[in-house]
Amino acid sequence: MKLHIRGVSKTYSNGVQALKNVTLTIPAGMYGLLGPNGAGKSTLMRMIATLQEPDEGRIRLGDIDVLEQKAEVRKTLGYLPQEFGVYPKVSAEKLLDHFALLKGIAERRARKEVVEALLRQTNLWEVRKQKLGGYSGGMKQRFGVAVALLGNPQLMIVDEPTAGLDPAERVRFLNLLSELGENSVVLLSTHIVEDVSELCTRMAIIDEGEILLEAEPLPAVEELNGKIWGRVISKEDLARLEREHVVISTKLFAGRTVARVYADAAPGPDFEPAEPDLEDVYFSTIAGHLGRRRVQPDPAPAS
Amino acid sequence: MRLREIFRFELGYQLRRVPTWLYVAFLAFVAFVWTGENYLAYARNGDFFFGAPFVVAEVTVVLCVFWMLVAAYVAGDAAARDVETGMHPLTYTTPVRKADYLGGRFLAAFVLNALILLAVLAGILLAVHAPGVEAEIRGPFRPAAYLTAYAFIALPNAFVATAIQFSFAALRRRAIASYLGGVLLLVTAFVLFLLLERDVGQLLDPLGLIAIDDLRSKWTPIELNTRLMALEGWWLANRLLWLGIALGTLAVTHFRFRLSHHTATPCWSRISRRRDAHSPTPAASGILGNTPVSVPQVRRTFGFRAHARQTLAIAWKSFGNIAKSRGGLLLLAVVAIFALVSVDPGHMGVPLLPRADHVLHGLVDPGVPPAYLIIPLLIVFCSAELVWREREASLSEIVDAAPVPEWVLFLGRFLGLGLVLALCMVLRMMAGVLHQVGRGYYDLEVGLYLQILFGLQLADYLLLALLALVVHVVVNQKHVGHLVVLLIFVAIIAAYGNGIGHHLLVYGSDPGWSYTDMRGFGPSLGPWLWFNLYWTAWALLLALVARLLWVRGNEEGLGVRLRVARRRFTRPTAWAASAAVGLILTSGGFIFYNTNVLNEYGTASDDMERRAEYERRYGEYEGIPQPRLTGTNLHVEIHPERRAVDIRGTYRLVNGSAVPIDSVHLASEVDPGEVDFDRPATGVLVDELLGHRIYALKEPLQPGDSLRLDFEAHIEPRGFRYRGVDNSVVANGTYFTNRWLPAIGYQPSRELSSAGARRLHGLPPRPAIPSLDDAQARLDMTGTERIAFEAVVSTDEGQIAVAPGALIRTWTEGGRRYFHYSTDAPIGNEYAFFSADYAVHEGRWNDVAIQIFHHPGHTANLERMVRSVRASLGHYTERFGPYPYGHIRLVEHPGHGLGMHAEANTIDYEEGFSLLNPGDGPRGLDLPFYVVAHEVAHQWWGAQLIPARVEGAGVLVESLASYSAYQVVEESYGPEHLRRLLGRLRMAYQVPRTHAAVPLLRANDAFLYYRKGPFALYALSQYIGAERVNDALRRLLEEHGSGAPPLPTSLDLYRELQAVTPDSLQHLLHDLFEANTFWELGIEQATAEQTEAGTWQVILDVRARKVVVDTAGVETEVPMDDWVEVGVFAPVEESEQSGEPLYMRMHRVRSTEQTITVTVPRKPAHAGIDPYHLLIDLEMGDNIEEVKIEI
Repeated sequence: MKLHIRGVSKTYSNGVQALKNVTLTIPAGMYGLLGPNGAGKSTLMRMIATLQEPDEGRIRLGDIDVLEQKAEVRKTLGYLPQEFGVYPKVSAEKLLDHFALLKGIAERRARKEVVEALLRQTNLWEVRKQKLGGYSGGMKQRFGVAVALLGNPQLMIVDEPTAGLDPAERVRFLNLLSELGENSVVLLSTHIVEDVSELCTRMAIIDEGEILLEAEPLPAVEELNGKIWGRVISKEDLARLEREHVVISTKLFAGRTVARVYADAAPGPDFEPAEPDLEDVYFSTIAGHLGRRRVQPDPAPAS
Repeated sequence: MRLREIFRFELGYQLRRVPTWLYVAFLAFVAFVWTGENYLAYARNGDFFFGAPFVVAEVTVVLCVFWMLVAAYVAGDAAARDVETGMHPLTYTTPVRKADYLGGRFLAAFVLNALILLAVLAGILLAVHAPGVEAEIRGPFRPAAYLTAYAFIALPNAFVATAIQFSFAALRRRAIASYLGGVLLLVTAFVLFLLLERDVGQLLDPLGLIAIDDLRSKWTPIELNTRLMALEGWWLANRLLWLGIALGTLAVTHFRFRLSHHTATPCWSRISRRRDAHSPTPAASGILGNTPVSVPQVRRTFGFRAHARQTLAIAWKSFGNIAKSRGGLLLLAVVAIFALVSVDPGHMGVPLLPRADHVLHGLVDPGVPPAYLIIPLLIVFCSAELVWREREASLSEIVDAAPVPEWVLFLGRFLGLGLVLALCMVLRMMAGVLHQVGRGYYDLEVGLYLQILFGLQLADYLLLALLALVVHVVVNQKHVGHLVVLLIFVAIIAAYGNGIGHHLLVYGSDPGWSYTDMRGFGPSLGPWLWFNLYWTAWALLLALVARLLWVRGNEEGLGVRLRVARRRFTRPTAWAASAAVGLILTSGGFIFYNTNVLNEYGTASDDMERRAEYERRYGEYEGIPQPRLTGTNLHVEIHPERRAVDIRGTYRLVNGSAVPIDSVHLASEVDPGEVDFDRPATGVLVDELLGHRIYALKEPLQPGDSLRLDFEAHIEPRGFRYRGVDNSVVANGTYFTNRWLPAIGYQPSRELSSAGARRLHGLPPRPAIPSLDDAQARLDMTGTERIAFEAVVSTDEGQIAVAPGALIRTWTEGGRRYFHYSTDAPIGNEYAFFSADYAVHEGRWNDVAIQIFHHPGHTANLERMVRSVRASLGHYTERFGPYPYGHIRLVEHPGHGLGMHAEANTIDYEEGFSLLNPGDGPRGLDLPFYVVAHEVAHQWWGAQLIPARVEGAGVLVESLASYSAYQVVEESYGPEHLRRLLGRLRMAYQVPRTHAAVPLLRANDAFLYYRKGPFALYALSQYIGAERVNDALRRLLEEHGSGAPPLPTSLDLYRELQAVTPDSLQHLLHDLFEANTFWELGIEQATAEQTEAGTWQVILDVRARKVVVDTAGVETEVPMDDWVEVGVFAPVEESEQSGEPLYMRMHRVRSTEQTITVTVPRKPAHAGIDPYHLLIDLEMGDNIEEVKIEI
């Protein structure tokens, strides 16, 4: 079962063009969609989750046309949105049971089992009788996960899931997701690069509505081997460095600025070779040194 | 299956919540109170059973309105909770179909509302079977009454209203939109009803309010007690129509609703061209710090000035939020529409001069219920929006953490709401000004608009607005807050409307104010200001409470809020609170001193108790021989500035009975001071409270002897009364009657007249009016005195004082002006005094001086009034007898009323009458002319001819006066004009009315006196000739005009009419006067054919029927064989109102159908049976038909 996205574009009525001719093929397994805020990730997620319509393009899940056969898609969809609320005056158990019914688990005993299993899996079993209005952010997020997992969905859309979770919860959540990836298409959209690098077998980088790169994380990182150089620099020198070299990112490390530069060979004596990681791939792609944004095959150092 | 689950879940969710049960409790309570308040008194009166089916139906309908406003959130939440909580991405992505989702939610809302409405029936049931209700007025218990009310009224209403509310909320994605949907439904029904014919209006009435209103008037007493509301006729059509509309609305909602993500797009950007697609402005890629953006360092100020600016900013933003939101715009549009509609268009088809005081009177006090409720309903909506919108948008936490004090947040919102209310006032002002300018009247008096709308009215609304905001802040729960605000408003309006509760106890209430052109505000502003000062102090205290209990952050528990409140109770707060409390105590104390200490505080029920006590104690003295008043001599000093009157008076009394009289009883409303007799007498009983005194004469007064007594009366206001100012004596426009002077003997008019009130106070039952057959009543001479009257009236130098009698002389002395009046012929003992800065318009008829005392500037109708007086005096003198006085006066006094009133040689009218503006030219109906003629006629009918106080007495006074006035109109303007006037007056028949009535001879209500009586006389005059009728009237006056007992009744009139009516028409006389007869005449069809001679033959298919209806409402058909006018008319010419009659003659018409053939010289256009509606036929539209020409 593959998810095919072909030529999808959308422009909002205030003029903002959210997606420009996006084409992706997403096989079963964990797929990461990486991009900065405002790149169009949520819009694309909502389209696949049948909540929005593109202006152009087609989306197909296996044989099902996602845009025309929304009801069919929803039968096997699990969607965890970036922002959502819950009814404050009802307990988690009751609301999850209600969603289970809506998702088609009609038989009462089966439903009870599923609800219990999911609540245990998301670690909400102890607080299942509490009203959802009193849940913390993390607990609410876990509830959303439970709802998304109802019915063993074959298409799982997860939009910025770890943004509100503490480190332990994040690890647990990622573990949970990884178990899913066997037979379903799991599309994880995030701006946190570590999520993708830890979990995903394939990824795409999106910015300003355009897909800049489709690749597998490991090979993409390996391609940058020997091309990333690091240097400690002061703030005043940074401007000059940017003019002379291709600076990919600057980070603060123990109070000092470290610049990473992309070059085929050592750009200078102060530079040290650095181990590339997915973040470098990400920044390079966004900046236009890799992927479709690239104007020239190699960046030419300024003289 | 999913529909069932969604339905079950929603139903369970709302049933478990407290607000749902609060709605149930509220509606049951209001139903209980409403039933008792509005029906118990009538039931005690014997009008109908307390538990009658129509009572159940009426209360159900009215409570549906309450329900719709109160329980709006039931449908609103069902429709919009998913979006408002943000759960919709989870719900919409489940495989649930739109139909199941909407259907399940809607059905749950409908079932909930249906259950909530059961509370209404429970409330009614409890009220009917409450312990305090006497068993005999309850009537039999009929479950069918409750079932039909529920099934035919409550359930359909629930379905329709829930559908509308649900649709609004679902499509707008906000729960509060359902409240707006309900308001819109009410408003639409009301506006349509106003604009359309009544029948169509009934069809378009979604809740059945209009339908129910008709029932009470239309049904006969038997029907009121037994008939059930059935689904038939137009009522069935109405229900089906609205069910259809509801289903249609649901269909539209289903079509337009999307289970998808909603991007908020303002509708104008959808209409305008799509802007060029562009990428979102790229966020800086974050890595390359690039140009460091430095945020300029600014100084932040905190302090009063900053807070004031913040308050104004919040006020402006709040105002903008409401004024720009769809809901706000909708409500503002409704306010504008109502303002336009409530400006008085005219009276009986005659336009009114749009003088500013009258226009404002209409804007401020519209007679119709939804109009004055619209702004309170708007306040309910706005207060919820202002307090909850931010919290729903989750902005509140950010705001709560900002360094803004609570009072800024509260005051800003309050000022924002104040701006919205000010905008409403602007809309009202514009409606008024547009109306004035549209009529070509340019004296706008903008200053008055500002004073009344922006000063007085806005103040009242601001008090309500503040209360609503405080309730929302303190209650801190959206649904319960909404309910509490509505509850409080209902309580305030109910208390204010029914006069329950002292104004010091009902929030925002005051004795009211008044403004007229003549009087200005008079003394009414003073008390109003004091009361509003008092309530403003309370408002300040409430605002402080709101500030202390304002929820900031997430702590919502009451204990925490009280702790926080204690911490917030700083020194400035304490100062403000003590200032408020101090103001409350001082102003409240001052008011209490005025209303309860300086003046008497009495509610309506206290009054009734007093009247009952008067009867209990002194009723034994009714009818005992007492001397009769023959002459009154007064010295009246009017002090307009001080609002005081000093009266010194002398009565001359004569013992007209056959026995000696040993005691004189005086009944007085005002303390008569030291009463002196011209012979030894001692005061035996002086009852100050009930106003009755008994004086024993040392020597009994022998028959024929006369007696003099002197008295005084001093009227001066002390402070202000609870019930509002007494506007009798004011700076300009003083008007008071002789009721301040003592009356002789026991006054039966003071007794309680309604049967229910009598029973409540333990008084024996007594018919309101003595029966026509009561021979004793014909000898009862109370109130029929004719006196010689003389008075010296003085007033301020710039004013003219008017009293009955010819003006002997006038002089100025010591800064005051004196007028000496003396009547040249006896007058009745009912007269009035006037004093104002009058202008006088003079006229003359033979040797009678005509004077019109009017406010300078109110000159529109003076000429036609004089013309009418001259024509009337001439006509009546010739037909009925001489006018006894040398002068006749028409005097204007302050007020908005449109009528006139006649007393001894004086006719007085309120300022509203001066606004009648028929315009010039033949088209305008000259209503003032007719009214003046009617009042002049009272100088004969009522002044010279005084009837006995029995049933049918009104016919001798009002019907004869109206009929006489018709003659004057016909003489001056022609029969066509008279017919137009009669057509207007006949519109009273269109008002729903029960057929059950007493015959005209026993007439006992205004409709019979003022409409049916005169029409009957007019019809008779058309059949037997006006001369004969006038002869009968003259004979009646000759026989009984002296005022000697036995007094005349309608039977005497009937006898005279019988004497002048030929035998062949005696049955008509009987049908009109002795029986309650209705004719049902109509033309089935009319065809015409031209004959060889060139004339036209017209064939009329006529149907006729005659029924007699008794007082219970039982209809009996009687065989008909009457003379009825048949007419054929030519086509209507350019300048005419109707076609020229080609044929008009009486035909004998029998019951059922027949054909009548007539020949006319020219081509006919219309033909009719009884085309001028002489015979009483309620279905007037079918009397005339168009003639079909056959070739």
